[in-house]
Amino acid sequence: MTTRRYAAASLALAFLACSGDKRGSNASGDVGGTVVISLSGEPDFLMQPVITTTASKMVTDQIFEPLAELKPEMNTMGDGGFAPRLARHWTWSADSLSIAFELDPRARWHDGVPVRAADVKIGYDLLADTSVHSPQAANVTDIDSVTVRDSLTAVFWFHQRSLDQFFSAAYNVVPLPEHLLRNVKRSELKSDPFAKHPVGNGPFRFVRWVPTQLIEIVADTTHFSGRPKLDRIVYSFAADPNTAVTRVLAGEADFIEVIRGEQLAQALKTPTLQAKVYGGLDYAFLQFNLRDPKRHAAPNALFGDRTLRRALAMAIDRPAMVKNVYDTLAAVPFGPAPRSLGIADTNIRQLPYDTAAANRTLDSLGWRDSNGDGIRDRRGIPLRFSLATPSSSKPRQRMAVLLQEQLKRVGVDVVIDELDLNTMVGKLMSRNFDAVLMSWHPDPTPSSIRQVWTTTASREKGGLNFGSYESPVFDAQIDSAASAHSVEQARALYHRAYQTLVDDEPAVMLYEPDLVAAASKRIHLVNLRPDAWWAGIREWSIPADQRIERDRLGLGRAAQ
Amino acid sequence: MRRLLAARAAQAVAVVAIVATIVFALTHLAPGDPFATAVGTGELHPAQREALRVRYGFDRPIAEQYVMYLRNLARGDLGWSFSRSRPVAAALAAAVPNTLLLMGTALLLSLALGVAAGLLQAARRDSAIDRGSGAILLVFYSMPDFWLALMMMLAFAYALPIFPVSGMIDPVMHEYLGTWGRIVDRVRHLVLPATTLTLLITAAIARHQRAALLDAARADYTRTARAKGLSGRAVLLRHTLRNSLGTTITLVGLMFPALLGGAVLVETVFAWPGMGQLATSAITTRDYSLVTAAAIMSAVMTVLGSAIADVLTAIADPRLRER
Repeated sequence: MTTRRYAAASLALAFLACSGDKRGSNASGDVGGTVVISLSGEPDFLMQPVITTTASKMVTDQIFEPLAELKPEMNTMGDGGFAPRLARHWTWSADSLSIAFELDPRARWHDGVPVRAADVKIGYDLLADTSVHSPQAANVTDIDSVTVRDSLTAVFWFHQRSLDQFFSAAYNVVPLPEHLLRNVKRSELKSDPFAKHPVGNGPFRFVRWVPTQLIEIVADTTHFSGRPKLDRIVYSFAADPNTAVTRVLAGEADFIEVIRGEQLAQALKTPTLQAKVYGGLDYAFLQFNLRDPKRHAAPNALFGDRTLRRALAMAIDRPAMVKNVYDTLAAVPFGPAPRSLGIADTNIRQLPYDTAAANRTLDSLGWRDSNGDGIRDRRGIPLRFSLATPSSSKPRQRMAVLLQEQLKRVGVDVVIDELDLNTMVGKLMSRNFDAVLMSWHPDPTPSSIRQVWTTTASREKGGLNFGSYESPVFDAQIDSAASAHSVEQARALYHRAYQTLVDDEPAVMLYEPDLVAAASKRIHLVNLRPDAWWAGIREWSIPADQRIERDRLGLGRAAQ
Repeated sequence: MRRLLAARAAQAVAVVAIVATIVFALTHLAPGDPFATAVGTGELHPAQREALRVRYGFDRPIAEQYVMYLRNLARGDLGWSFSRSRPVAAALAAAVPNTLLLMGTALLLSLALGVAAGLLQAARRDSAIDRGSGAILLVFYSMPDFWLALMMMLAFAYALPIFPVSGMIDPVMHEYLGTWGRIVDRVRHLVLPATTLTLLITAAIARHQRAALLDAARADYTRTARAKGLSGRAVLLRHTLRNSLGTTITLVGLMFPALLGGAVLVETVFAWPGMGQLATSAITTRDYSLVTAAAIMSAVMTVLGSAIADVLTAIADPRLRER
């Protein structure tokens, strides 16, 4: 990026900042105020094609406007679950293989240049260009291309019909300023100044980034859909998670996305803080390795047997475990789709907690306690396996101990193997483990189940189906669901697939935790969406009579 | 003096080379890679992870990676930091001054406090003050650094909110303060981390200073000074203290690695954006280039600290200067 281009953009920004200042500094009612968000991770970049972290996404989502926004109901199938944003409306082609998005003509980049269809095209092109090496590229593989029909109409072309088409375009492609990026060498996108000092078109404008310390964004008072209620958001970083929480407890920061255990109790005792429970997308499970850890071609001596896996599942009292570790802040999953996805099926048949049935099944398989040591054995081999769990996760450590205790009651010896996260991931990648307590954060679309449970995810290099569960039936059901013609048909097919997985029991679904955010009581929080708690920030507000010193700064000097 | 400096420089090069090799081997032989922690979070797809591994050469044999690393190091290229998304040199350049500020403050404070405490203890040898202050300092010396840092934070930033919890500046208000306001803001943020480090090392200096003073008090020149009719205070300050300071300076130089080690955890707890915080997050994220560079920088600082102590001792002691 040339110096001249940035100088022009900066001048325009300064002008807009001054013009916007009038509306910002006189903010009254519920307009105005500063929210300091405490983060334990720092963004890597602020340009969507090159970001790899959630922290980056939570900032870029305020600076850049999507074509359409996912509604709180989290229905990603088709376009019914989306609300217009940058696109005023959209039209499907007769064959459903293209979607034409018509942009709002009032939309402007923060340097004053109008948002045009070419900006949508470059947003996609940078994602798909292999020289960019975008970590998000896999999210848009179903899009063939994006073309410009006229200055305000961008057309997405797809190579096949699926219920994820709209999601791919609206959720994964973020328009970028073509006038600032057209001459940037794509293989050097990360080192371009824009990647860390972006000019966006969203409700907040980028102000500054002090590495390892903070990022500041302020309200764009000229935003075409109306200014956000807050004046300013400051993301404050602390490498130590305890410090990140203490900042909120001490009032130096106003919000932290997740708080647990003792710190939650402390937050509840702090008169200036509120705790807000919201759903998440994470779910955790006891995953069995269905292949031999040493000779991957051979089935696992224990877990290759479906009946044995089902017997183990029946020996586990999941509700009691969840209650023990999380009290009411988690639930037993219905299947491999967390409740927040909206597609979770309460009617999926679950194996009952029945230790008598588990004992009978294990007996029938020939696993008996022949030497009276309390551990079943067969042909001299004890029914024993190691359970890998990350040392960084206290809930999973506690779950591992409970699992060990419960399985001991039916004569199964579990050896807990607490591992550093990197070491554990190394073992999982090489499939060198017996069983693991795994937690997964899926993308907010039902088809993301492919990432963890399909044959492709088992066999591809670096695939995330660590347990090597391979079921042609399940694969076919998922494929059919993803390419169904209607949402209802897709639901039915997904439910069938979930039932197949639960019946095969390649993993025992253990819990899906709720998330608890801690925030200053003066902030009115809106729409903590499970996939992105920050989705509703433009609606967050601080009543005038509850403002503190930092709320009264207006847009002020920082904006200039 | 020149020979001393030349010897120190050669020693420094050797130490840095050994440290770089050991750290490179340890980080690369440990399981995982810079992209492993993203697994399960939905942040990185497997194909993208593999592509990144290939792009940055992590799929190549470790020997080949090592040769590449040495080649780049010889050219002054410390590599790219994955966790900071910037050149390693830039990340270090931003962090080192902050660490020097914190360590320098702590070092000066602990030296002043330690020498003063040593003086007091030596002057009131075997008294209640000597025993009491020794015990108090020993308590701080025995505390784990991260625990003391957390306690300081809880006591003076949360329970009794006098000082800020963490960071170098107020993330919002600093920009809106005048010059004096900004200085005060920086000093307020420096108090807790600097005090924590100071408390951790003052005891060692005080105990050493006390022992050195008591040794010096038995020396012939002290007896001569007393025989000349000088007051006890004048003997202590002019003769005994001055002669005992040389060994304390050497000790401070030798304590540099310990101070740096303490700073790693103290910086992490107080979110002080220095070398310690940089190194901790680099280790957590398996940021190979940054971990190795941070280790090299620590080695350089340690060798430099030790060399400075040698030089200062030589300046203080004419006998060493002549050697």
